[in-house]
Amino acid sequence: MSDNAAELSAPTRDALAQLLLGIADDEFVIGFWDSEWTGIAPMLEEDVATSSISQDEIGHARALYEMLSELTGQEADEIAFGRAPDAYRHAALMNHARTDWAFTIARRYLYETADAVRLEALARSSYEPLAQLTTKMRREERYHLMHLDAWLRRLAADADASSRLASALRTLWSDALAIFSPVPGEEVLVRGGELPEPMDSLRARWLDQVSPVLADLGLPGPTPDDLAASAEDGRTRRTDDFRWLHGEFTMVAAAERGATW
Amino acid sequence: MSDGSPPHDRVWEVFRQEAEGDPMIHSGNVRAPDEELAMHYAREFYGRRQESNRLWVVARDAITELDDPDLLKPPFDRSFKRPGGYLIKHKLEAAKARAGTPAASEAHE
Repeated sequence: MSDNAAELSAPTRDALAQLLLGIADDEFVIGFWDSEWTGIAPMLEEDVATSSISQDEIGHARALYEMLSELTGQEADEIAFGRAPDAYRHAALMNHARTDWAFTIARRYLYETADAVRLEALARSSYEPLAQLTTKMRREERYHLMHLDAWLRRLAADADASSRLASALRTLWSDALAIFSPVPGEEVLVRGGELPEPMDSLRARWLDQVSPVLADLGLPGPTPDDLAASAEDGRTRRTDDFRWLHGEFTMVAAAERGATW
Repeated sequence: MSDGSPPHDRVWEVFRQEAEGDPMIHSGNVRAPDEELAMHYAREFYGRRQESNRLWVVARDAITELDDPDLLKPPFDRSFKRPGGYLIKHKLEAAKARAGTPAASEAHE
């Protein structure tokens, strides 16, 4: 059990920083993508709900960047807004543009269910600050999952929406699997219990949970090709869509470096 | 529907309780196709800032409304039905004196 960053060995600290950066960037980038629905969601109420959930995700990212800051000494804002696009470590799932509502729901569903498995494991982390933070995050993510589940079932029940969902899922599956790409230095974290289980076993648990739900709704699971695809660059490959989003979300910070308000 | 909203959209009235034991107070309403999404939206509109302890979400068309002026505002004088027309204070003091407990006015001195 470690209570603070100073007690960690250098290899553990570096690997933990990689793990936190990936999760923080996942939350940060999906929060920004989905905040793009503000003003144009299917109905006013959904507009508010989606925007609020997106804010929650950015809030989670902020807490994670601050924890990361304890490990690296770098300012949280600088980590969030000060990197070039290629230095972000979100899963490839978050490389895609917002696209249509069914695509957004498909992506969020894959993300939220995977995130739930990951958070459940991290709530048992031997790094006490991380265990505490993820326990708090899980309480908010519970509502996100309920909201997503409600939308997934509704869209799946409609012929046109269901075919859009299916096509989005086929596009996204291989990139969603990248959420569980191995973290550099993962074996150190598993040994120390900072990451209580290897990513591979989290990935298997996630697939066991999600595949039957999607199958019941007549929606596609991952193909053998998706499953066999290499996950090595799952958190490093970037796209023009993401580069565009990066330009948007760093615009204000870039206007005057180090400004406070 | 005549107001141009989608066919399955319904209005749900939301009542909010600020702290345990407080009354449920009508806060406003949300539009949603069904109870489940109505609950989600009520949570976003009236609970996302941690300002609520409990919400009631009620379909507007499940509410029985009474607004008939003949029933609620009948034309004859009703002042004798208001409790204010009947002063109990002196009777209460007399009763307390008989029972040997100090009257309210003394107890406050």
